[in-house]
Amino acid sequence: MKGRIYFRLFVGLAWVLSESGVLAQQMDHKKRGQGFEHVHALGMDAAGQTLFLGAHTGLFKSDDGGRSWKKVTLPAKHSHLDVMAVTPHPKDPRTIYLGTHEAGILKSTDGGNSWTETNRGLAGLDVHGLAIDPNDGKLHVSVREKGEGIYRSTNGGAKWTRVDDGPGGEVKVLTSVNISTGMGGIFLYAGTAEGLQRNPDCF
Amino acid sequence: MGGLPANRTVNGFAVDPDDPKVMYVAMRDGLFKSTDAGETWKRMGDNLKNLAAVTVKLKNPRQVYASTTEGAIFMSTDGGIKWIKQK
Repeated sequence: MKGRIYFRLFVGLAWVLSESGVLAQQMDHKKRGQGFEHVHALGMDAAGQTLFLGAHTGLFKSDDGGRSWKKVTLPAKHSHLDVMAVTPHPKDPRTIYLGTHEAGILKSTDGGNSWTETNRGLAGLDVHGLAIDPNDGKLHVSVREKGEGIYRSTNGGAKWTRVDDGPGGEVKVLTSVNISTGMGGIFLYAGTAEGLQRNPDCF
Repeated sequence: MGGLPANRTVNGFAVDPDDPKVMYVAMRDGLFKSTDAGETWKRMGDNLKNLAAVTVKLKNPRQVYASTTEGAIFMSTDGGIKWIKQK
């Protein structure tokens, strides 16, 4: 009988110890900021100070070159935002655009402290790539599923117009590359499930 | 686009703003760099695998950051030749 009680106590103690180990590991995990689950995008602000990371669990930022990360607060009306694209403005360090899986495009003009949705003209809200033209700030996004296609904005995202069906294959990343097409525009590169593709962005 | 693994997903892409023919691709097979606008590619950083994203510091484009899908962060200060694990 006594032996049984000791055995139960031993099992109980072992369980408590193993659970506390798991908890400590989870805490450590959180401290190191590894709650990304699945990383989608990286982008650095124009000042070269802050690195932003878009992941399945939201947006994160680092001011020490990626060693430590803090979660960035996004609009509270969305309980979960999967951040697919992070595109800082190349000249204005306070302006950052995000493409999200659930809520279209978010824009910040204060370095990431506050965000507003800027989706007028988009026929769908699953945004998988967001490119900014380094010359004139013109934007292109790739929308998946509903309203699929490439949309363009020439006024900082205030209004979007569908301009193209987009490349074949799921778009993972979209970037304006400052190489002249010879037709008055520059190239748009798309990283897709079918490889890297490029198009003159003068649809 | 010679030198990139064929029919594989390109997860991340970044361009040197000072010389846009210099570009980087992040994919499951690692990090690839082109210096001719994507005509030819060379694998960089032998240890880098399962990459989700890459970006270039605009003020110093030789500084490149890459992240794995799970969130391990790597930095290069020489245009992708040597890589240091940040996290």
